[in-house]
Amino acid sequence: MENLAQNIINGLMMGGIYALIVLGLSIIFGVMNVVNFAHGDFVMLSMYGTFLVATWLNWDAIATPLITFPVMFLVGVITYYILIQPTLREKYVMQIAVTVGLQYLFRALTQIAFKASPRALNFSIIQGNIEIGGLTILSSRLISFAVSLLVIFAVYIFLSKSWAGKAIRAASDDLDVASLVGVNYHRTYAITFGLGTGLTAVAGGLLMTFQQVGPLMGMSFGLLSWVVLAMAGLGSTSGVLISGLIVGVAESLAIAYWDPRARLLVVYMLFILVLWIKPRGLFGRK
Amino acid sequence: MRYQLTPKTIFLTIGLLLALILPLLFGKNQYTTLLATNVLLYATLGTAWNIIGGMGGQFDLSAGAYLGIGSFVVGTLLIRFGFSPWITMFLGALIAVGLSLMVGLPLFRFKVREVWYALASAALVEVLRVLFIMWEEVGGATERFLPMYYDDFSKFTHMRFSSYVPYYYILLAMLIFAYLVNVRIRKTRLGYSLLALSEEEDAAAVLGVNVRLSKIKALMTYAFIVGLVGGVDVCIKGNLHASSFNAVQSTEVAILGIVGGIGITHGPLLAALFMVSIRELLRAQLGGGMEGLYMVIYAVVLILIAIFRPDGIAGILESIYNRIKPKISEENNGRLSDA
Repeated sequence: MENLAQNIINGLMMGGIYALIVLGLSIIFGVMNVVNFAHGDFVMLSMYGTFLVATWLNWDAIATPLITFPVMFLVGVITYYILIQPTLREKYVMQIAVTVGLQYLFRALTQIAFKASPRALNFSIIQGNIEIGGLTILSSRLISFAVSLLVIFAVYIFLSKSWAGKAIRAASDDLDVASLVGVNYHRTYAITFGLGTGLTAVAGGLLMTFQQVGPLMGMSFGLLSWVVLAMAGLGSTSGVLISGLIVGVAESLAIAYWDPRARLLVVYMLFILVLWIKPRGLFGRK
Repeated sequence: MRYQLTPKTIFLTIGLLLALILPLLFGKNQYTTLLATNVLLYATLGTAWNIIGGMGGQFDLSAGAYLGIGSFVVGTLLIRFGFSPWITMFLGALIAVGLSLMVGLPLFRFKVREVWYALASAALVEVLRVLFIMWEEVGGATERFLPMYYDDFSKFTHMRFSSYVPYYYILLAMLIFAYLVNVRIRKTRLGYSLLALSEEEDAAAVLGVNVRLSKIKALMTYAFIVGLVGGVDVCIKGNLHASSFNAVQSTEVAILGIVGGIGITHGPLLAALFMVSIRELLRAQLGGGMEGLYMVIYAVVLILIAIFRPDGIAGILESIYNRIKPKISEENNGRLSDA
């Protein structure tokens, strides 16, 4: 019983970070209807960014988003203007093609820069564990979880309260009407894309406190985020959070009670199940 | 109907003749032959993809799944019982078709489409990979080797040649088969249905296209060809491992379909010729020092084509041809078309 509780807690902690990653994808797909197959590779890039900043400046991984967030935001904005904007009016196939190309590019560039060997950082200051009633909680996971929740909440507030956030939501509801009332949609889209990729910088910083990074990691993150997004449906921040947690727990239980190799199997089975039963997701708004 | 000699058929015939005599020129060089075999392998996969992905507009990423099934059926039956791949490759292809039915029926029934279909098909490859790693009796974590044969007769009956040239011809035959299937489908009701539903699925359904049936037929045809190729692929490689369920390779097949020109029958063929040879050459030239550089070039080509030339390499070649055509017809005074 304790074992079960322990595994569920571990899953929840990881699920929080997943939710943070997926929130970025959800904003990009939900608002712009752009199919971004490179999202997982943005996470991978952020993790390498974290690694670089942390080793050069001797910072702790948890502090690096202060630098990597603006950088990834900029990378996102540039990506939008160069690659995404020309394919906005094309079929989704072309967006997949462009983002798959981007995926290859990121993977190849990190492979050239860092070789194929995985990188990891020294122990973060938030290392250690907390014991509560026989349950062990790694404090790095706990703090990562808390930061994820905070950032998700902050994004939620940003989207619902600030002018830029309202513009983003207006553009997602009806682009033409939003343009009529004075929303510059190219700028809004660029900000949206930047925000989506910027969020991966926070996730990357959190992940690097307890994980290593390799050039091929992007693919599993990418598929995983789409699975969570399928479950969450579009336009619901809390849906993303809950779905992230569900996937995290499912993964953790699969590792503990079935087979460590079955981790992805369970996630994809959930995905197929959701596609069959609720094609609009469990929490979808539209 | 009178048969017309279009430039396309002329080029294709020249290409085919070249392909037929190519091993006579390079046959001694095993590396070059392997490279050419690889091009043919990808061209066949891409041409098969064109049925579901190009004509049908379903962005399928599950080539690795059917390829792996074909490989495992042929490989396992050869290792365990010594069955001839010449027969078992058809069994493997049929099992791949069965799998495509299992996957396609529910997905199309529940109207899983566009990006969600792409993701579901990509997930299928990963699921099968993990399942075969966990299934110790057949797959497992370590690779299994196909038996070697030492007399020419067994080499032939078990498709375990010591040169790449026979494989080259087998795959060439498969490419021609895949191409003819494409051309045939294009001219039948199924082809028109697929083209219609790839534009606008709901509108096609309203106009009386049986969307689900057309998609499932296309998927089955695709799975059959890819399954066949999988059976040959395992004999070329000589070993059997769950990594045959390769997600990256599945993506590459779809990329060939896009780079060649979506829905153009000879597109994947041109793309494979162009992209796979570039990749293999760069890999051979730069392999040691600049790992990954070929991927940069691959990525840039893909991005440029997606943004600037959505009609792909086939489209580019066609516009080049159209630019030089006036000169040719002037010289002939239009006699070619009269003849």
